[in-house]
Amino acid sequence: MANIFPRYTNWLPIKILVCLTVVVASVVSGMAYYFTPKYTRVGYQPTQPVAFDHSLHVNQLGMDCRYCHTGVEKSSHSNVPSTQTCMNCHTQIKALSPKLAAVRESWKSGNPVPWVRIHKAPDYVYFNHAVHVNRGVSCVACHGKVNHMEVVYHAKPQSMGWCLECHRAPENYLRPLDQVTNLDWIPPATTTQRELGEKFVKEWNVKPPVSCSGCHR
Amino acid sequence: MKRILQHPSPTTTGRTYWRSLGEYARTPDFEEWLHREFPKGAAEWENDPLSRRTFLRLMGASLALAGLSLSGCRRPEAHLVPFTQTPEWVVVGKKMSFATAQPRRRGSIPLLATTFDGRPVKMEGNPLHPISQGATDNHAQASILDLYDPARRRFFTRANKKATTEDLAAEVTRIRAEASSTSGASLAILAEETLSPSRERLRNDLLRQFPQATWAVYDPLNSGRDLAASSLAFGPNTDFRPQLAVASTILSLDCDFLGSDEGDIPDTRGFASGRRTRNPDDKMNRLYVAEPRFSLTGTMADHRLRLRASAAGAFLLELARQIRSLRSTPDLNTLLQQAPDLSLPKGIDPAWIRECAADLVTHGQNSLILVGRRQPVAIQALGLALNSALGAIGTTLLVQPQLSAPSTNLASLADKIRSGTIRTLVLLGGDPVYNAPADLDWASLQSSIPNTIHLSPFFNATSARANWFIPGTHYLESWGDTLAADGSYLSIQPTIQPLWAGQSQLEFLTSLTAQSKPVGPSMIRETFATRTNFTGEKLEQAWQDFVREGFVPSITITSPRSANASSIATLLSSIEVAPADDIHSLEAVFTHSGAVDDGRYANNGWMQEWPDPMTKLTWDNAILISKETADSLGFKNELSKGILIADVVQTTIAGRSLEAPILIAPGHVNFAVSLPVGYGQENLGPVAKGSGFNAYHLRTSGTDYLAQGLQLKPTGRTRELAITQEHQAMEGRDLVREASLAEYQAKPDWVKKVGMDGHIPPNQSFYKNPKLTGDHQWAMVIDLATCTGCNACVTACTAENNIPVVGKDQVIKGREMHWIRVDRYYTGEPEEPESVSQPVACMQCENAPCETVCPVNATVHNEEGLNVMAYNRCIGTRYCANNCPYKVRRFNFFDYNQRSLDKLYLGPLAPKGTEETIKLQKNPNVTVRMRGVMEKCTFCVQRIEEAKIGARVRARDSADLGIPSGTLQTACQQACPADAIVFGDLKNEKDEVGKLRSLPQNYSLLDYLNVGPRLTYLGRIRNPNPAMPGAKMHYIPSHGHTESREQENGHPAEPNGQSGGKAGHS
Repeated sequence: MANIFPRYTNWLPIKILVCLTVVVASVVSGMAYYFTPKYTRVGYQPTQPVAFDHSLHVNQLGMDCRYCHTGVEKSSHSNVPSTQTCMNCHTQIKALSPKLAAVRESWKSGNPVPWVRIHKAPDYVYFNHAVHVNRGVSCVACHGKVNHMEVVYHAKPQSMGWCLECHRAPENYLRPLDQVTNLDWIPPATTTQRELGEKFVKEWNVKPPVSCSGCHR
Repeated sequence: MKRILQHPSPTTTGRTYWRSLGEYARTPDFEEWLHREFPKGAAEWENDPLSRRTFLRLMGASLALAGLSLSGCRRPEAHLVPFTQTPEWVVVGKKMSFATAQPRRRGSIPLLATTFDGRPVKMEGNPLHPISQGATDNHAQASILDLYDPARRRFFTRANKKATTEDLAAEVTRIRAEASSTSGASLAILAEETLSPSRERLRNDLLRQFPQATWAVYDPLNSGRDLAASSLAFGPNTDFRPQLAVASTILSLDCDFLGSDEGDIPDTRGFASGRRTRNPDDKMNRLYVAEPRFSLTGTMADHRLRLRASAAGAFLLELARQIRSLRSTPDLNTLLQQAPDLSLPKGIDPAWIRECAADLVTHGQNSLILVGRRQPVAIQALGLALNSALGAIGTTLLVQPQLSAPSTNLASLADKIRSGTIRTLVLLGGDPVYNAPADLDWASLQSSIPNTIHLSPFFNATSARANWFIPGTHYLESWGDTLAADGSYLSIQPTIQPLWAGQSQLEFLTSLTAQSKPVGPSMIRETFATRTNFTGEKLEQAWQDFVREGFVPSITITSPRSANASSIATLLSSIEVAPADDIHSLEAVFTHSGAVDDGRYANNGWMQEWPDPMTKLTWDNAILISKETADSLGFKNELSKGILIADVVQTTIAGRSLEAPILIAPGHVNFAVSLPVGYGQENLGPVAKGSGFNAYHLRTSGTDYLAQGLQLKPTGRTRELAITQEHQAMEGRDLVREASLAEYQAKPDWVKKVGMDGHIPPNQSFYKNPKLTGDHQWAMVIDLATCTGCNACVTACTAENNIPVVGKDQVIKGREMHWIRVDRYYTGEPEEPESVSQPVACMQCENAPCETVCPVNATVHNEEGLNVMAYNRCIGTRYCANNCPYKVRRFNFFDYNQRSLDKLYLGPLAPKGTEETIKLQKNPNVTVRMRGVMEKCTFCVQRIEEAKIGARVRARDSADLGIPSGTLQTACQQACPADAIVFGDLKNEKDEVGKLRSLPQNYSLLDYLNVGPRLTYLGRIRNPNPAMPGAKMHYIPSHGHTESREQENGHPAEPNGQSGGKAGHS
């Protein structure tokens, strides 16, 4: 009786298996890397209609975040400043700078400046700024060191797993309330972040929600 | 291992509860239907132009195309658009509340409008105002949807052509010139009732300029006879208002004071406060009701008598005689000397009236008799005289000045129009072409006037026949003022700029009176100044307070202590004899619709889909008729696959006829029908189209409430009616528990022993209970003793939680989306049933059966005892709904928020998207769910989280995260005028909910399932009068196995065919 399967078929199952493993592994690892916010979001740096330089305003001029983002301590939403806020200073300082033409135009016409959105929580996420900044979570925890950015970019992945890292262990991130908007703050040399954080968790009764309803409604 | 539950066999003695005649008769169809999760066809893809296969093929192709371009990978550029100048007070993303009021015909509702980023999204009652105290009713809740209705006309028209404001200004000038030449005789105004003092001021200005002008007011449901009766009894310009909180014995004669027509929020609250029992020795009021159709008031009655509306006179005269025989007063003698001697209709037991009278007399000044406000003047006046004889005036019945100034009525205006003097008619709101008495033939009258101007938010039948149409503004878009039922002065302030070109009534009247003053706050302020005694700075401060808090309290008024008997006595001879009780003398009563009112909410999707509290009918009205009368006329309602198929009959009164479906209504009086008005407006808008029939067509000036000589003839046709009644059926598991006050006093923990609850074996769940470690543990208690079943909670929930409207076809399939439903159970015989309402929302079970079956963990428990839904995780297996013992989960079978309701079955081929204005209404704190997602009540988790976040923001670096008791309310609780819904934190000792849960009459639904509901009920307690004929004193059903209870009841079990025992065992 003739041999139906030629000799090379003996190796076929193993070859197929190896190939499949490689393909599946690369697809899985590819998706795990490229399809997550860590890849899709971090580094997003669109060109803004006005070349507003955070590092100049915060680092060199020493302005507080809340001078412009006024609602951050009261509202779920941290507002982008109105044109009026810009014009408080820029009617006198750099009043004729060509870089500010769009702001002046907005002030004159009443049409808002269309800032390009960088950070966006999905519609089904109900993130609240006020509760974070009032309880010792600094801006830097989610937005990175904006005070050193000439052009703002998406610094952290802001994925759900990333949120939960802090919600499960807030002691690694909490800081004194007066240092929340100081993005360069580091714990004093006498203590560590963890020690300090654990103290705050206890004293402030910090219990971040880890159930779905905390953020999804 | 499959856990097999031993359902207890339903009670074999005592009372059976049924929710429809189908259930009562246990028809095979009902049985089949009962055992399905959704009605047959609910989960099937039928009557669509696309087959399932074509659909899949198309979907496959479009997916492949989408894959080619990979366009979805690129992140779309989005913009953040700040203000250029931030308005005062605005914090972006925070809600703001503005005090305002919704104008009503008999007393406006003080409200708070919640706005997000400049758009009102939800109405709440004004908690500071004594009338509302935070509560609302369904119309106040639904009025916000009217603001955003895409059917609102967006421009001025002249002769159905677009016109400009300049054209209108020229027209007004012309009208003024025309009117001056006739000193106003050529000008007539026909207004709907808004109770606005500013409008009254402008009216006086107008009449000063044009003394001959006619000012008429018409409201189809305001007969004015209540005011006429009041004037007779208490002198001119008086009105009366019941104080139910102090009433201990109440007789309602055809007066639905717990409904939204003849009642007001304080009536329900007052009644509920007298009904609430927390301890066995608490006092409880007693309610007698004699009425033709089963109303909400009837469901709360301790004794209910079916009485034809035409027999109210005979009933009340007999009652007067009985009261006189117990407490003879000169006034009563005067009254009854001239009264006709009418015999009671057969079947009415005089003993009923005797005992009722005895009870009323015993409680004297704490008694109250309420007579329907559309009954004849003589009967209403006699009712007031009886209240006076009981000493009730000043305690349970307050007399106060009338809220509105007298005006010309519609009939006199019609005479003037016929005489040809009127050249210009200005209609301020209303829709007389649709709802004026049919004998006036208003449509042709209006057409005979050379120039008519209609100002209305909707382009309705009257607008279509007017020369000019002015789009009216919604009350949330304009400045205004109005009066509440207690006479307090309410402010109306705009919460949004008018969405479309439009004018308010005040703006138009200002231009008509040629006043130069700008319209807006200054105009209201002027009226305000005339009503207060302040000047200068004090006035400014008072005005600021008025706008901020929304009202100035009413000034207390001294009222007469008695009614003028002699003036009433002369009228009593006009009380007519009731026609004979037989099938040849049928009568019709025109009733108000709890959903669409007089028709003004007919294009409001929330109201169309709102199940009528008694009939559970949606999207339609129907002729309500008793079973006996329908049987003898040969009409029937058939239930097929859960769909109610109603016979359409030809209805004729005095030569006018229309065709309408009949609906057999348990508890309806025989030989009479009820015709709800407000439907059948084909051209009002897409929502109103095709819903119901126009009962106004049969209504004439003389028969605006009651019409004799009704004829009903079969047509051979049928109509499918969308009732939610038999959906979500639960077997007779003693879900509603009732006791008489005596039973409760004898055994305060009666509720625990009902049915099988007395001997539940120790039950153990083999799932691990979630750890409930949260600082708060949320729970809700609903008091069935005070819940009137008004369904205001349903509308409030719809508004708060972005619940979609699904349309009549979908309701027929059992796919309505209301997160809270009000089950209405009947008990007893279909002819003389009692009824009880039970709101059912998600129970937030501690051992929730839905959670264990979800394959994707989309529904899980949180540490605070909430059964939460993560919509973005749900993949729509519907396992959770199948495993829910309470059937409270709702599934989005279609993209109700994205596709128009008539194109649902086109699926992705239907145009996507919804009207921009409808999007504005959505609550930004609640996800708008898409197709394929399960949803359910979450105890308003968005409000809970908001409160928790608020506490943390306040706390900052302190550890005090407490939420002050009473500051967190769910939407249903907030709206409830009876305060029957109590929500709170079990861990907060100040919250009432913990106390209520520990009351002996607290029970949970289906306790034997051991699911541990966080929503529990307080058993209903009735207060029957033992002396009444046929009084039912035993309400507690005893279980078949419990011999001791049978002995207690004194009468052993009667075999009851309807209890359906076998279906319960699986």
